Amino acid sequence: MQPKIKAKARCADGEVGSISKVIVDPLSLEISHVVVREGGGRGVDRQVPIGQVQEIPNEEEIILRGSLEEFRTFPVLDREAYVTHHDVEIAHLEDRLHVEPGEILVPSPRLEQGVPRRSFFMNMTHAIGTLITLPLVFPVLKYIMKPMYKPFDNSWFSVGNVRKIRKENIGYQFKFTRGFKEAFMPEQQIEKNIWVVKATPEVQKAVYGGKDKKFYDHKGELVWVNKAKAPYIGYSGKCPHLGCGYKWRRTKNFPDGVFLCPCHLSIYDEAGKVLDGPAPRPLDVLPMQVNAAGEVQIIDVEYKAGVKGQIRLL
Amino acid sequence: MNGNPTNVFEKVVDFVDERVGLKTIQAKMLNEPVPGGSRWAYAFGSCLLFIFIMQVVTGILLMFYYVPSTDHAYASTQYIIHEVDYGWFLLSYHFWGSSAMVVMVFAHMSQVFLWGAYKKPRELIWLVGLALFGLVMAFGFTGYLLPWDQRAYWATVVGVEIMDKTPVVGDFLSRFLKGGPTPGQMTLSRFFVIHVMILPAALMGLAGLHLFLFRKAGPAGPFRGTPEQIKAKTDYFFPRQVWKDIVAMATVFLIICTLTFIEPVTLLEEATPDPGDYHPEPEWYFLFLFQMLRLKIFAGEFGQFLGAVAIPGAFLGFLAALPFLDRSPERNIFKRPIALIGWIAIMAVILIFTVSAILNREFLD
Repeated sequence: MQPKIKAKARCADGEVGSISKVIVDPLSLEISHVVVREGGGRGVDRQVPIGQVQEIPNEEEIILRGSLEEFRTFPVLDREAYVTHHDVEIAHLEDRLHVEPGEILVPSPRLEQGVPRRSFFMNMTHAIGTLITLPLVFPVLKYIMKPMYKPFDNSWFSVGNVRKIRKENIGYQFKFTRGFKEAFMPEQQIEKNIWVVKATPEVQKAVYGGKDKKFYDHKGELVWVNKAKAPYIGYSGKCPHLGCGYKWRRTKNFPDGVFLCPCHLSIYDEAGKVLDGPAPRPLDVLPMQVNAAGEVQIIDVEYKAGVKGQIRLL
Repeated sequence: MNGNPTNVFEKVVDFVDERVGLKTIQAKMLNEPVPGGSRWAYAFGSCLLFIFIMQVVTGILLMFYYVPSTDHAYASTQYIIHEVDYGWFLLSYHFWGSSAMVVMVFAHMSQVFLWGAYKKPRELIWLVGLALFGLVMAFGFTGYLLPWDQRAYWATVVGVEIMDKTPVVGDFLSRFLKGGPTPGQMTLSRFFVIHVMILPAALMGLAGLHLFLFRKAGPAGPFRGTPEQIKAKTDYFFPRQVWKDIVAMATVFLIICTLTFIEPVTLLEEATPDPGDYHPEPEWYFLFLFQMLRLKIFAGEFGQFLGAVAIPGAFLGFLAALPFLDRSPERNIFKRPIALIGWIAIMAVILIFTVSAILNREFLD
């Protein structure tokens, strides 16, 4: 039992006063001292260690060890050395102490007395809140998702002329500019690039495996066929690993040149095959046609990076 | 109210105090016992708050000129840097402030981990702290796109491709962030609103909760010493800890200013899907992850999922579960060998991968 404020304090040989305060250790949250006011409320406050409390028989009194004589040897409380618990932030202090002289009561309003089914009102409040929220979920989702799924653009773009390609089995970059129309924005011109290789029959075989490559739109209708024996092969400029832009480079290990992505160091040969690095699939072959004058046209196809199969995004 | 107010100022203070209870609030804020006394090691949290407030101030100022559209973002950022008085300073401060934030989050988490302060009864503070860590990373990622230069564009391209690898929700998440199949105006709009509205609101709420829970549980104090020794050194938050905090904040401020002067932000070319000669690279605090993804063991579709999503996700999951797995009340780091070795190992891995990413730059040039 904890000592209570106002309780009478007794020694073996008589009453010494009453408890006016308790002192709490801020770390252990235990009462460390009781403060006993001598006499009938006008005397000095003496600070008595909790160890000197022999017994707390009930809420009205506590019994101290020793005699009246010994009680007078306890130090007088130095009030300046303490603050009240209202002036400090000590977690869980109130939970641990029960020293209030009594409960403080306020009357509850008459209308609140005997109200039945409080939980019904609580549940109804939640239910109405939910009814306000639910019809908003779908419109908000649709609002946010508006631009997320677009039909594929299968139009052809001119990217350059193959006459600039002199050597076989070497990557040549073709830069092109295309219009890009997004939502309310005026059409913007964005720069992109693709890589074209003039392939020897071995490389053609490595890319196409002797079969024509067919391209479909999102409805599954055939859009274009790359012939298996077409000498020029175009690769999307987007690295199939994580979407960076790769380059044609000659390195110490590959003096003839390879496609190298500077991001995560994926390396591909002229047939787009992964030679080294983390890429999960070969370079993406683009739908491409070359006319008699050597003009190259492509469909600007992009696939999702980082997966084994080709999942078309654009 | 104490005594009779003598001048107008005291009268005003008393008037407000009577209605608000300012003096009690102030007393509650400042008079919190710090078990074992104030320490420099406890300053990290306060520094984070300071850095965040400065990010809010500089961020709001940047929005006076910045326009979040693909045809104006780059030009308006260049205008801030080159034309607006002190624009270069505010923008560079905001840039270096974000790096400082990441460093400080690291220091703060390490301190809490090494001190064993995540243990019972402080599990929820740790969990909310982890969520805050996620928000700081999200701030870095979304803010990076806003200048709309090549660096910004490619970091976003790769970052979103990585998120795309999340199971089930990945495709939706990456389309949601991009606002379409490829990055463009919708991406910029979305990153902008996330960066300047959603994340700050979330961070303020969670940081408030973090502080509330911290005050509720009380500071953990040092991990060694008898209760008597700890009690003998205990003092209040004010003045000694507040003093250490403000000195630490001033130091952080000076460091950020110094970096701002030495290395002010310059932009690369305007963003476009053709990288040209630019070698895409994320901000330095993501470099270790970037370098990890170059490893052969993270090759292929599954390897990539492992390196980009599964391992970082599992690590964060492990951190979240930590206070529930590690139930031993022992807080002394020198008596928790697994924790100490684990921390050193993770720091070493991050350091090694960051350094090797930097060394790799020369190989590419």
